[in-house]
Amino acid sequence: MANGIKDKVAVVGMGCTAFGERWDKGPDDLMVDAFEEALADAGLERAQIEAAWMGNALDDINVGNSALPLAHALRLKGIPVSRVENMCATGSEALRAASYAVASGAVDFALALGVEKLKDTGYGGLPLRTKGLANDLWMPYGSAPGAFAQLAGAYGARHGIASADLKRAMAHVSWKSHQNGALNPKAHLRKAVDMETILEAPMIADPLGLFDCCGVSDGAACAILTTPDIARGLGRANPVTVKAIQLCASHGWEMQYGAWDGSFVATTRQAAKRAYAEAGIGNPRADLSLVEAHDCFSITELVTMEDLGLADDGRAPFEILDGRFDRDGAQPCQIDGGLKCFGHPVGASGLRMAYEIYSQLLGRAGERQRARVDMGLIHNLGGAPFNSVAAVSILGRLR
Amino acid sequence: MSGNDVQKVDERFVAGVGAYAPLLRLERSAASRALKFSGLGGRAGGRRAVAGWDEDALTMAVEAARSLTGAPRAVVFASTSAPFIERSHATLLVDALALDRETRTNDVSGSRRCAVSALLDALLGARETLVAAGEKRSAKPGSPQQLAFGDGGAAALASDRGAARLIGHASLSHDLVDIYASREHPDPYAAEERFVRETAVARVMVPTIEKACAMAGVGPSKIAFAAVHEPLAGCWRDMARAMGMTAPNLASDLTQSLGDLGAAHALFAFSIACAKAKPGDHILLAGFGSGCDALVLELIGAMPGANEAAAMFRSGVAFDDYVRFLSLTGELDLDWGVRSEFAQKAQATVLERYGRDMIGFVGGRDAKGNVQFPKSRVPVRPDADGLEPMQDVRLADETARIVSATADRLNFTPDPPFWFGLVQFDNGARVMMEFTDFDGKGFCVGDAVRMRLRIKSHDKRRGFRTYFWKAAPAQRPQIEG
Repeated sequence: MANGIKDKVAVVGMGCTAFGERWDKGPDDLMVDAFEEALADAGLERAQIEAAWMGNALDDINVGNSALPLAHALRLKGIPVSRVENMCATGSEALRAASYAVASGAVDFALALGVEKLKDTGYGGLPLRTKGLANDLWMPYGSAPGAFAQLAGAYGARHGIASADLKRAMAHVSWKSHQNGALNPKAHLRKAVDMETILEAPMIADPLGLFDCCGVSDGAACAILTTPDIARGLGRANPVTVKAIQLCASHGWEMQYGAWDGSFVATTRQAAKRAYAEAGIGNPRADLSLVEAHDCFSITELVTMEDLGLADDGRAPFEILDGRFDRDGAQPCQIDGGLKCFGHPVGASGLRMAYEIYSQLLGRAGERQRARVDMGLIHNLGGAPFNSVAAVSILGRLR
Repeated sequence: MSGNDVQKVDERFVAGVGAYAPLLRLERSAASRALKFSGLGGRAGGRRAVAGWDEDALTMAVEAARSLTGAPRAVVFASTSAPFIERSHATLLVDALALDRETRTNDVSGSRRCAVSALLDALLGARETLVAAGEKRSAKPGSPQQLAFGDGGAAALASDRGAARLIGHASLSHDLVDIYASREHPDPYAAEERFVRETAVARVMVPTIEKACAMAGVGPSKIAFAAVHEPLAGCWRDMARAMGMTAPNLASDLTQSLGDLGAAHALFAFSIACAKAKPGDHILLAGFGSGCDALVLELIGAMPGANEAAAMFRSGVAFDDYVRFLSLTGELDLDWGVRSEFAQKAQATVLERYGRDMIGFVGGRDAKGNVQFPKSRVPVRPDADGLEPMQDVRLADETARIVSATADRLNFTPDPPFWFGLVQFDNGARVMMEFTDFDGKGFCVGDAVRMRLRIKSHDKRRGFRTYFWKAAPAQRPQIEG
């Protein structure tokens, strides 16, 4: 493996809009709001941005094709601006591209911005694909909850966990995220919910009930990146740096080859392994202060704890119920509310997760602030468990 | 009358039979209760077979024909409710059964007699010919036909050898307008029942059947089982009395339990007759509609597919939700909300490249023996690192089990919930699939499933549909009564 980009890229500014049903904002407004916050945080002029990457997953319903919407909204004049898309891992993809640009020495300042305007679809949930291409001839038109719900039955079967016990652990995942979201002024869902309400909620896709599913939101988040030397020159004595950023795309074996039992997400495991190697992390349970996982559904977060090596296989339900990943637990997960309550504007989510880790590293997280934060992990998952793209990034301070 | 040229029939046989009924059976009494205020609806006894939203005349014909082995040189599709006007269903049938593409194909229609007519033609011809019938006829709520009709499929294979020998036949062309449907009036329009009953029995059915028996040299009293499509329920009693025939008519039982299956009806009943008969028995097969075709066959051995057909008759799930029935039959157009608005246009160019593998459920075996679906130039096998040739492998008849499953209540389907999940085939292939034939128990990890050809997408705006296979429970529940 190459040396990677550990500590070759610093984050000097970040911004994130409030997520939610932003009837008041168009995609241009969301991009401008996130960017202006990041620009002020970095103490830069917009003309200093030398290259930009826009992450947007669903161009057919909201922001529009190409990177021109970003260039237009921010009036980025004459610089290279690219659009990237990797389903729900799009935000991390934008961060990865901008990081590589800085690490390579191609530019001094790069912008990564993710945005999604989902609530112009006229209904809840994600839009359906309508292309009429080869896969449409055979692949089920399942919803996102339907795709992820399948983890539950397979996980229970593999580990011999009764569906009622698994459902309770899943409910705790959502209960915890609602507790956290209530403390986050930018979160979409800011109301604590009791366990019984979660357990008795209407079924969406067996066994996922309403509260097992994340919100569908509008929002934008962004990061301005530079080199650690330049960051120090801007007054950051111990800048936040990228310790690792890894991506893994399935080659299709989970869905077409018989070795996968449906109870875990293989791409997460591969991306995490490489990210820990890049960051020099030997024991993620001790070395990572907190985690932002892609909790699109409660069962996703549950299996992700094992996929990231934060719980032994088959033990995540018990670790969750014991409170290990609660806000006051040993290794908080989704301390900002996660996709579940902060919201999930698809292309922005990876950068929203980075925004929380960045805020925690700098001691800016308000009521959610942890006492000591050395490194945090961002897990951003695109697609479905059987056909996924996983991104694992790690941020920390440069000492 | 034609067929009165008494000549020795060449030795031709029915070599196999098949039948298919959809899972669901509406209790006619439920419809009768719902329609009580109006006094409409027709017969209140028994049940009628109801196709799933993803079934049509083609899929049911395919299901009926699947059990027939062999390599027919010709395929005939028979139906009065075929989904396409300009697109050959027999050609789709060839692809769905993965038959040789040089197989001759023909669609027949025009009356519900068409399948029996096609079978007789095949028996009088020289080729090995598969006749597959499917029917899913529409009828207005309140009309007697809505409850009298049923959905289903049936098939028979004509060959130079087989288990039932044709020993006599007769045909009559007679434009008796008992019932019609037209482009301008797609739902059936019926003439007065007593007129139909008296005319059809006396002027169409009895003379034709008697002629066929005479040709066979078999007196009516020597017929062991009848598979006679009645013009209307109860006609058999009048016919039998007029001819001195005492055989039970299995087509009448079928009407009571599944409904009038149109083009598939007589062949379905014939399949059951073959299961009940013993070698040496004579079976009368007769189709009705704009005339009559009557065949007398002698069973000379166990008929392939007959027991499976009889088992199909006895399995299913009864339901009494008349509104669901109306929705399934398309007579009630529910507002399913914005999630149902997604377009499902299929591209002809894509179908040209992949369509045959899809409707035939053909995957590929790579150079190291792993089976996958769909095929790819670089195999999915983890240790594959380049191009490999792939050998076609049909998955439609392979056994499989569920790896993961869910009932998706967010996704639109015309008959919620939308079940889907990962399916592992015993031969190594695995496919993310829709599930169908939900029988109330649900689908669980480890459940055995079998493949059923179904409608995959239905583009109502453009009047087009695509077909693919779905996983259904391996066993159907037995139905009482």
